[in-house]
Amino acid sequence: MMSTVLNHRIRGFRTLNIVFAATLLILAVGVNLAKTIAGRERNEIARVEADIGKENQRIRMLEAEVAHLEQPERLERLARGYLAMAPVAARQEASIDTLSDVATRQPGPQAVSTVSVMIP
Amino acid sequence: MSIADLTPQRYPAPWRWIIERVWRVEHAFERAHADGRAENDTRIRIFVVMSLFAVGFVVMSLGAVWSATFAHAGRTGGVVAGAPERADLVDREGRLLAVNLIHYSLSLDLKDVWSRRETKAGLLAALPQLTPAQVDRALAAKKRAFLVGGLTPAERARVHALGLPGIIFEPEERRVYPLGPLAAHFIGYTEKGGVSLAGAERALQADILKAGAEGKPVPLSIDVRVQAALEEEVSAAAAEFHPNGAVGIITNVHTGEILAMTSWPDFDPNFQQRATPDQKLNRAAASVFEMGSTFKAFTVAIGLDTRVATPDSTYDARTPLKMGYRTIHDYHGTNRILTLREVFNHSSNIGTALLAHAIGNAQLAKYFAAFGLTRRAQVELIESARPLTPKKWDDDDIASVSFGHGINVSPLTLAQAMGAILNGGRMVPLTIRRMPVGYRPEGERVVSEQTTLSMLQVMRGNVVEGTGRKADAPGLSVGGKTGTGEKYDPTIRGYSSIKQVGSFAAVFPTDGPVEADRYFVLILMDEPKGGIRTGGWVAAPAVGRTIDRIAPFLGVSRHMTPAYGAPTLIAARAAAPTAVGATPESGL
Repeated sequence: MMSTVLNHRIRGFRTLNIVFAATLLILAVGVNLAKTIAGRERNEIARVEADIGKENQRIRMLEAEVAHLEQPERLERLARGYLAMAPVAARQEASIDTLSDVATRQPGPQAVSTVSVMIP
Repeated sequence: MSIADLTPQRYPAPWRWIIERVWRVEHAFERAHADGRAENDTRIRIFVVMSLFAVGFVVMSLGAVWSATFAHAGRTGGVVAGAPERADLVDREGRLLAVNLIHYSLSLDLKDVWSRRETKAGLLAALPQLTPAQVDRALAAKKRAFLVGGLTPAERARVHALGLPGIIFEPEERRVYPLGPLAAHFIGYTEKGGVSLAGAERALQADILKAGAEGKPVPLSIDVRVQAALEEEVSAAAAEFHPNGAVGIITNVHTGEILAMTSWPDFDPNFQQRATPDQKLNRAAASVFEMGSTFKAFTVAIGLDTRVATPDSTYDARTPLKMGYRTIHDYHGTNRILTLREVFNHSSNIGTALLAHAIGNAQLAKYFAAFGLTRRAQVELIESARPLTPKKWDDDDIASVSFGHGINVSPLTLAQAMGAILNGGRMVPLTIRRMPVGYRPEGERVVSEQTTLSMLQVMRGNVVEGTGRKADAPGLSVGGKTGTGEKYDPTIRGYSSIKQVGSFAAVFPTDGPVEADRYFVLILMDEPKGGIRTGGWVAAPAVGRTIDRIAPFLGVSRHMTPAYGAPTLIAARAAAPTAVGATPESGL
């Protein structure tokens, strides 16, 4: 049996040698293809990772810039300077429930003296 | 020897089968040789060796295909792309406090520099922070020389635009504090190279590095809006009274979270190397003071908790009290018999010393220890200083300690102990970490809930009709206690009547049940200048203004009483765009 397998030939070549050579070739090509494709994927992933890293850095820079510009002291200074705003005084605070009371305490509309206008 | 010898029947069948196969292979060569088929012997040997190689090759190939196809290509061991070495620090609402940003170091490669004169002129024009001597020194090197570090991307772009050869940039991470001096002592700072030196940066070092690798921020307990309001009021008070230093602290009494903490004078952590040691000193944590009368809150709370006194118990403050070798006087002398409320409102040393005497030395010492007044504040900050306590708790020392003399504690220690009086009686450690919503730690009980409710009323009384009237904020039910401690002056070898520590320890709101949200505010002035240097004068108004500003941020609503006047409608004012003192600012 063993001898038959070892001695079997196709066109003068031992079948076993042909099988081994074919297996070797297929494996070599397969591994090479897999490595090439995976390498390309790996490069692509690394490039995307680098892009994400740069983008994250840019976002962090912008967030820091925003935090710097939104410093409470700076906002207060700008609000006072440009918008003439000031902290709300306690007497200016009212809840929804007390708004009607506030309105009733306000002086009503005053009658305005009418002025006659002569139209020529 | 035969197969039968090798595989006795006592062996299990699979084991016998393996031994037989091995034996057959082992003796195949011998059998072939014995049969006179030497060529078969060689072929079989070659076949066996080739088979082994083939199997090995197939295994390796499959392994290579597996690793090439399914391995975690491009992954970086769980580190997020672009993640900084140190995590961002954010406040309790997620506002950025500290961030690592990429900066650049600039070196000169002298073999590529073709014109030293042009290089020097270009660099000095692009980077105004450089001095000619610095550039000359770098240009005098033989090969490669470091010139400057910490360049921003904009500065790098300016140098790039010069198109000079021989200039090398290398990226480096640098810690940036976008809010500048705001909360500088709380956040702390790092040295060049990322070594943390102070504040949260140092206290939470391990957490910051771990979160940095995961690309997550570390949330701290402070609220930037509350911090800004506190700093502004403390700075305003410091500008008015010119103290040597000042402190402001705001805590949540239930969770122990520090919502704001400031130490004046402050510094910009972005340029910490330019700050003086005095500026860097965190007076809130690392300095200890004789707090003075704010300690009366502890003595009164102990008196109420031990049932030695009630708010209506009376004490004779008509004459100075002789205790041991000293005589105790009242600063705000009333010269009459006072109830305990009045003792507190008028800050009577005599009444407090009498109460302390009634409580007893051992009991008072035990309570002071339970309040944490004899040890450093339990907080993550390593700056937290150990108190200076009396060596012995005799009558004389107890009398002094009862009104805040003869014992030095840090403002943080005071804040922690006050929290135990005001939160229902439990000792809750302070923290600089943001705690989850609804967090209520189960601290060790120090005083009863009833004592807390009584103390809230007593402290409210001090603001309504006592020494802390200037701390009132409309509708916010502020309570508190003034404190004026004389400082020991080595030049006169005694306590100075000029060098004082004025403080106001407040709580708001004092109304509502024990479990209602409640906040502690402390402002302290170290050696304020001026005619009046008491806590009620130099600190209480700043506390009132601070509370007035921060209440909306903390969700504390006003309950206006007629005494404060009813809400009114006020006409809106037009914006005044021309009345501008501010100018648009550049960014980082």
